[in-house]
Amino acid sequence: MEKASLSFDQAPPFSAPLRFFLTAPLFALLAGLLLLWEGPELLLSRWTPGALAATHLLTIGFMLQTMLGALIQIMPVVAGVNIENPIVFARWVHIGLTLGALTLVSGFYFSLPTALTIAAIVLGISVSGFLVGVLRPLSRTPSTSPTIRGIKLAMLGLAGVVGLGMLLAFSLAHGWALPLMALTDLHASWGLGAWGGILLAAMAYVVVPMFQLTPGYQARLSWWFPLLLMICVGVWSLGVLLDVSILGRLAQAVANLLGIGFCGFTLRLQLKRRRARADVTFRYWQLGLTSAIFALIMGLTATLWPDLATSNQWPIVVGLLLIVGGFLSFITGMLYKIIPFLGWIHLQSLGEYKVPAPPMKKILDEPAMNLQMLAHGVALLVLLVAVFVPELVRVGGLFFAIASGLLVWNVFGAARRYRQHSKLILEKLGKL
Amino acid sequence: MSHPKTPHVVDARYMEPPEPFVKTMEMLDTLKAGEKMLLQLFREPHPLYKVLKQNGHAYEVELLADGTFEILIWP
Repeated sequence: MEKASLSFDQAPPFSAPLRFFLTAPLFALLAGLLLLWEGPELLLSRWTPGALAATHLLTIGFMLQTMLGALIQIMPVVAGVNIENPIVFARWVHIGLTLGALTLVSGFYFSLPTALTIAAIVLGISVSGFLVGVLRPLSRTPSTSPTIRGIKLAMLGLAGVVGLGMLLAFSLAHGWALPLMALTDLHASWGLGAWGGILLAAMAYVVVPMFQLTPGYQARLSWWFPLLLMICVGVWSLGVLLDVSILGRLAQAVANLLGIGFCGFTLRLQLKRRRARADVTFRYWQLGLTSAIFALIMGLTATLWPDLATSNQWPIVVGLLLIVGGFLSFITGMLYKIIPFLGWIHLQSLGEYKVPAPPMKKILDEPAMNLQMLAHGVALLVLLVAVFVPELVRVGGLFFAIASGLLVWNVFGAARRYRQHSKLILEKLGKL
Repeated sequence: MSHPKTPHVVDARYMEPPEPFVKTMEMLDTLKAGEKMLLQLFREPHPLYKVLKQNGHAYEVELLADGTFEILIWP
């Protein structure tokens, strides 16, 4: 087993990704509390201060946090890309993201132009810092797998979503005369498509077969999906820039079709899995894929009948399905694999393979994860209904706050148990 | 299990980590001079590559249409 230990030596210390994983659920909890506090007002339209604040609590506070944290951890493993000084790097990116997200959300909620400006600058610097730290080693890595190519394209997507976000924040703060509606849609397409969608696919190519024991993604499909999606977002951007709406609509239609294809294909792979038991990650992915398919079908429908999307409810339903139903489910499902797995690996290496690490379920057990997922599923359902029945918004908010609170409990509990086991292992090691 | 590239094959496509790594290292230990082994996976094992390089092994990788990475390793 001594040789086997070598494989994990290049992984960054657990604290590097863990700080992101611990903070992210707190942002989701804040979003739930905001829903509970604001009530029906929040879901009236996607332009209300509360809706903008809640959206960014989830997209930056939860999604971006976990995605960057997970990338710092996983890039050495899936791409052979090692970031220099991962602990210092993670600390600065994490502080910048956390402060930037909180400032941005305050700026939206309390309509504070200065906060929006500061947040745009802080988030811009933090993400640029991340990109600079990652792009150097990434540029030296040849794209030998669809995952590496996907990660490279996703970095372009990250630059795009943050660049557009900064432009929008400055426009809002300083009253610049820009087509805000079209730019906001474009910002969302870079965020959820070019960044989130492509990164998700690049990770899915590795984690779906690895953790759920399914067949692999066909090589041709996995090479082309990220590139085609990026081309769609590029054409969409061109449509906005040149003010040619048909270009944008065409690109949206193809992007939605690509997304439906990817989700459908992943569902099919899951049906062929060799792991008999459906665990919480598997179920979270099924929920995520199904929600995303509904959202993308709605997106596709809106490109054919654009009047539909002008109603206040339509974009909120799509957003709930894609962000709460889709991305939050994928990410939480993966956290439930990654955290116990990393904990176990680090404990094993801490014990120098002389003191055995406890089984993964001692770090995070299945019933706690299942309960959290149940609350998340109920929250999603109630919130979807609440778009049409405003009296239910607070109930949905309560369930979402419960689900996020349980996630906080689970993740902090796992970190606490990890520390306890670390101490025990070191004590045992000292007695050997 | 035999394969046109070599009779020494670790088909790790439906194994959970770290089993593929452990099985590969075990098989490498049993190889005789001039023999090669093949690892089949649905991903590229970058941590293994690093160990292979450190231990002076050579390898080449082929991605098949079904998404299988075939990693041919020799001492």
